[in-house]
Amino acid sequence: MRTDTSVHAVPIPEGLLEPALTVGKVTPGSLDDQVLAFPETKPPKQWYLALAVTLSALGVGVACIGYTFTTGIGAWGNSSPVFWAFDIINFVFWVGIGHAGTLISAILFLFRKRWRNAIARFAEAMTIFAVMCAVIFPLIHVGRPWLAYWLFPYPNERALWTNFRSPLLWDVFAVNTYFSVSLMFWYLGLIPDIASMRDRTTSKLRKTIYTVLALGWRGAASHWQHYEKAYLLLAGLATGLVLSVHSVVSFDFATSVVPGWHMTIFPPYFVAGAIFAGFSMVVIVLVVVRETMQLKNLITMRHLDVMNKVILAMSCIMAYSYMMEGFTAWYSMNEYLHHGFMNIITGTYGWAGWVTISCNIFIPQLLWFKKCRSSYFWMILVAIGVTIGMWFERFVIIVISLHQDYLPSAWRIYKPTMIDFGILLGTFGLFFTLVLIFARVLPVIATTEVKAILPDAQPSHGGSHE
Amino acid sequence: MSKKSYAVLGLFETPDALMHAIPKLRAAKLGTVEAYTPYPIHGIDEALGLRRSPLGGMVLVMGVLGALTAFGFQYWISAIDYPIITGGKSAASWEAFIPIMFEVTVLFATFTAGLGMLLLLNRLPFFGHPVLSSKAMKGITRDRYALALEAESEAFDSAAAAQALEAAGAADIEVLPAPDRSPFLTSDYILRTLGGIFVACLVAGLGIYSLIKWFPLLAPMKYMQDQPRLNAQKASTFFKDGHGMQPPVPGTVARGYLPTATGTQEAAATLVNPLPRNKDVFAQGRKVYTSRCEVCHGALANGAGSLTAAYGAKPANLQAQQFRDYPDGKIYWAVVNGKNAMPGHAAYLTEPQRWAVVHYVRALQRAQNATDEDLKVVAP
Repeated sequence: MRTDTSVHAVPIPEGLLEPALTVGKVTPGSLDDQVLAFPETKPPKQWYLALAVTLSALGVGVACIGYTFTTGIGAWGNSSPVFWAFDIINFVFWVGIGHAGTLISAILFLFRKRWRNAIARFAEAMTIFAVMCAVIFPLIHVGRPWLAYWLFPYPNERALWTNFRSPLLWDVFAVNTYFSVSLMFWYLGLIPDIASMRDRTTSKLRKTIYTVLALGWRGAASHWQHYEKAYLLLAGLATGLVLSVHSVVSFDFATSVVPGWHMTIFPPYFVAGAIFAGFSMVVIVLVVVRETMQLKNLITMRHLDVMNKVILAMSCIMAYSYMMEGFTAWYSMNEYLHHGFMNIITGTYGWAGWVTISCNIFIPQLLWFKKCRSSYFWMILVAIGVTIGMWFERFVIIVISLHQDYLPSAWRIYKPTMIDFGILLGTFGLFFTLVLIFARVLPVIATTEVKAILPDAQPSHGGSHE
Repeated sequence: MSKKSYAVLGLFETPDALMHAIPKLRAAKLGTVEAYTPYPIHGIDEALGLRRSPLGGMVLVMGVLGALTAFGFQYWISAIDYPIITGGKSAASWEAFIPIMFEVTVLFATFTAGLGMLLLLNRLPFFGHPVLSSKAMKGITRDRYALALEAESEAFDSAAAAQALEAAGAADIEVLPAPDRSPFLTSDYILRTLGGIFVACLVAGLGIYSLIKWFPLLAPMKYMQDQPRLNAQKASTFFKDGHGMQPPVPGTVARGYLPTATGTQEAAATLVNPLPRNKDVFAQGRKVYTSRCEVCHGALANGAGSLTAAYGAKPANLQAQQFRDYPDGKIYWAVVNGKNAMPGHAAYLTEPQRWAVVHYVRALQRAQNATDEDLKVVAP
């Protein structure tokens, strides 16, 4: 939608006008026919094929976790002094992936970035799936996951309470709150869309399911009023969460005294990294979605262009953070910090340090070029690079810092086992299985929100202008 | 029940047409004007005269309540009920409570915003509303904009309402019959729902409790408890004799407990005291002598200990010439094996202690028979 120039005293030059959010003619009706009819069509063969692949990966993960349960976590490569390894790396990695969804749905909503409307639904769904993958790891990391409820402060026969000064307990609260709020946000956004699906479907079973899920939504103006207020409030609350969740995750490290962890830069550094990784994952999935689900007119190249710019900006923040890590180590005049930092670039795991720096700093610089921001090949290359790089960044932080700490007699080289890799593969299987199922059963685009920003969607006078 | 009408509904093609019609219908005062739209329309709240949503205030109150709850809960646990000193901080140090206070604030506020909007303000879920079963519903959730004149009282005139809607430009006018049951939630319904929720919670709570108790005892979970390790005082299939604890290998010597000297006292005469004669050794020897020997042999080693008179015992007078002529080895043998009524002291004296006490006995003998030569050694 073009900005209405009539409200401005001076007409806005053509070049400064906000470009259209959709391509071609899109009306509320055509939007429904395009997006909401999709779940009622029969999935193509490729979808089943993709599902078979992701389910196989999930199966490998389930088998590996089952093996871990029956033999104990000795099945993993974790060993003194590297007590945290793949389990915590993967936890931090997946929680980070989730952050893009909340950023898009909440922060960009508050900033009135209307391009977010078309991609918010998918990004929010990815948040929820990523957090689901993430919570698996602390659960299996405790060794006896059937006792994981001990993490919560509840009155018990042992007369014990949890330690509220431990960042690990803060993490329990942060991740659970994050998941609950994301789910609430996602479901609230879905209600009007599900109501639309309820009213258009002809299948009796679907109608029953959608009727229940839509809670009897009828689009009354008095309801929309409260709904919009609730959505705005949730966006404001979730904005605080985006910044807090990964900050709290970083406290797990920053409040300890391990050289390489005990740094004040950790919270913002983790949050930027999370958004960085999350946006890359969203770009990968959006490219596939827009190609295979014929959504090119709604998820436009402009969306991808803007997403890539955010990735580039985050890459620069990461570059600054890495440099600050080096600076802090040097300026501290502390031999342990010096050693820890040199380990990242020259140690046994120096290759991992350079994978991190290359994938997160060097490769994303390609996005300075418009050609790369508008080419599938380059943007996917960068996005996959960032995903790999951000995984290795957590590897660098956790394994390199732990394997050589203050006590040289305790130093040890960490080696992951096949079970470790199997569980990581399994969470990718779980994530993409959920994404595939979501794409087939629920509206992948928030049709209600897109309808509201289509041309002529709002009264031409009397209304407040966005 | 007579077929009363609940509302009259008309559809518009554009939001502009809808907005134009609202003031006209409100002026007609035929019933409550309500709009049904596929997405929120800007400015419609003012046009319909809706009051500002109270949600913001509700969320603020619940958010503050969340913060206070989290603070009180953490303070009570950490400072009162189960105080633990962590990192040298006071048990009541509140700074560490802030992250969880923030999370609980957001949690309370979010649930108030979401559920308060749905349950309290919008009275959802509710599947019995007449508009839901209207023909217009299909259009409302798609791309049509509806206005409804809803009955405020028994005197609602559906014909006049339909006319007014038509005059305002509405199409597909529909009269919605009043439902047989109240279109809104009744207290009976709420009570039954709450009862259902209570029973469900009870079943779920008991189910989860028993699951938590039994689950770790099930097959794969308990494998972790069956560890191939030896338990003290327990049987084990690992060794042939079925005992978990095994006797030490024959000939094993505990640290500091070399085998006791056996054989005759004469044979031991050749043993040489391995300890040097220095302050530490004499101090140790003195300690052993005063606690083990003095009670019988006396502080001066003259056989006049405090027990001598009481029990009529006759311990050796170590100052006697016979014992002063003994080689160190023979005294050592007596300490280890005992002699006459004296028991052996091997069980509780380490090898260095045995030899140290020999040195000390020698010192006592020399002290009692000191010559002028001895004084010269000490003098500066």
